[in-house]
Amino acid sequence: MKLSEFIRPASLAEARKALRELGPKGMPLAGGTALHFMQSKTPVTAVDLTGLGLSFIRRKGGFFSIGAATPLSDIQRYRSPRWAMHEICRRISTHQIRNVSTIGGNICRVFPWADLPVVLLAMNARMVIYSGKESEMGADEFFSSQPARLFSGGNLLTAVKIPVLKAQHGFGSVKANRNAAAFSLVTIAALLELDGTTIKSARVAAGSAIPFPKRLPEVEAALVGREAVTDVFKKAAAAGGTAAKWNVREGMSADYMRQLAEVSLLDALERAAEFARGRVD
Amino acid sequence: MTRTSHTVSFTLNGEKKTFDTRPDEKLLTLLRREGYRGTKYGCGQGTCGACTVLVDGKATYACLLYSMQAEGRKVRTIESAGTFDKPGEFQKELIAAGAVQCGYCIPGMVMSATALMESEKDFSDEIVKEYMDGNLCRCTGYEKIWVALRRVLDRREAATAKRPVAGKKTSSKGAKK
Ligand SMILES: Cc1cc2nc3c(=O)[nH]c(=O)nc-3n(C[C@H](O)[C@H](O)[C@H](O)COP(=O)(O)OP(=O)(O)OC[C@H]3O[C@@H](n4cnc5c(N)ncnc54)[C@H](O)[C@@H]3O)c2cc1C
Ligand code: FES
Ligand code: FES
Repeated sequence: MKLSEFIRPASLAEARKALRELGPKGMPLAGGTALHFMQSKTPVTAVDLTGLGLSFIRRKGGFFSIGAATPLSDIQRYRSPRWAMHEICRRISTHQIRNVSTIGGNICRVFPWADLPVVLLAMNARMVIYSGKESEMGADEFFSSQPARLFSGGNLLTAVKIPVLKAQHGFGSVKANRNAAAFSLVTIAALLELDGTTIKSARVAAGSAIPFPKRLPEVEAALVGREAVTDVFKKAAAAGGTAAKWNVREGMSADYMRQLAEVSLLDALERAAEFARGRVD
Repeated sequence: MTRTSHTVSFTLNGEKKTFDTRPDEKLLTLLRREGYRGTKYGCGQGTCGACTVLVDGKATYACLLYSMQAEGRKVRTIESAGTFDKPGEFQKELIAAGAVQCGYCIPGMVMSATALMESEKDFSDEIVKEYMDGNLCRCTGYEKIWVALRRVLDRREAATAKRPVAGKKTSSKGAKK
């Protein structure tokens, strides 16, 4: 993307004002890594968000609050009981990219390979949006279509709130790719709430092998009320295999992608159940 | 609000500098234009690591950073790591191990290793791979690069006596997973 100007606002209000004035000629910049690959007919003014105090991770009440401009490497390194975000961040691209690219940049304009929207959908995260004042939006609404729609009027994402997992909650994420730094072929994330050995509730999401990240209600329905055991997970994974239209990828048939999705679903569910039973890493 | 002129000021290898630039110039282009040619252009799209520099101590691809993003930061390039006559510790080991083939990837490897050595105390294989996973060697010389790096890291670990070298399990296999 061609940049004609680069401005550093001193506050969120200034950033929003500048973006409102600029309209389509303005573009928020966090890590800036995606901007290099985006196309625009005319050059844009980059509005730098990195000096606005939006890089933090705090535990407050029932949520972890992650500032929108927090680099993925900080999220990867953060540790706290019942924290699960590090797992997927370690799997995103390379050390150098994770040092620069931010959670906000990953989710405000979703590219097909983005991993975090999948995880945030499963975790039922809440996005904090600044539009002169701050308001919250749940992940289901935020990711119901391209989130960039929410920011065209100069509004900005300021934070992402992740519910602190309760003792009976378990989370698992799986990213299948060809090598450690490659884009995902399939990303799956699963949040299970157990009541003893029974699955009380489930949120399962997929991305990369489908056009846009989404929850898989067929998988969730095949889990709720049943025992958290491998046989049930296998049936739920099979339901996921037929529930979505899996994309053909370089050299890989749609049927191969379906199988990869099913295996990844099974892995994510097993990991989530282990987490709920006390796995800590 | 600061509407920037088209200059950027940052500390480069310990010296405060101001450069003329354009808002969409990459830091890599600026550095090479200003004579810091040790930082290489490989893929230009954040895949190979040849352009790795340190920004405030963190390994960063200079090909995916607009020069304006370096404002006020501390940037270090391979020129800060050693010279032909006075190579740094890792550079010496790379030479001793015969790890340098065409040499194109080596500046980036050295900068990632510098970030590793300055940021971590634990040099387990897992941590080392994490820091080095964004640097490719098109000559596929990973084995010897890894051996050279392990020699430096093992020495450092022995010096801090955190983990004695004897009996320590490390892999001499390539750095890539
Ligand atoms: C080589 C490479 C490999 C990658 N591999 C992966 C991968 O495997 N998985 C994965 O998930 N991602 C991957 N990525 C994507 C990477 O994580 C993105 O580039 C990143 O998420 C963008 O983050 P950024 O902070 O650089 O955003 P920017 O480039 O600064 O911004 C991206 C978009 O979001 C908007 N934006 C940013 N912050 C805000 C905000 N607070 N409010 C409103 N709008 C905002 C910007 O205007 C822009 O439209 C890869 C990228 C590269 C270059
Ligand atoms: S030139 Fe920057 S990563 Fe290849
Ligand atoms: S030595 Fe040639 S690319 Fe590594």
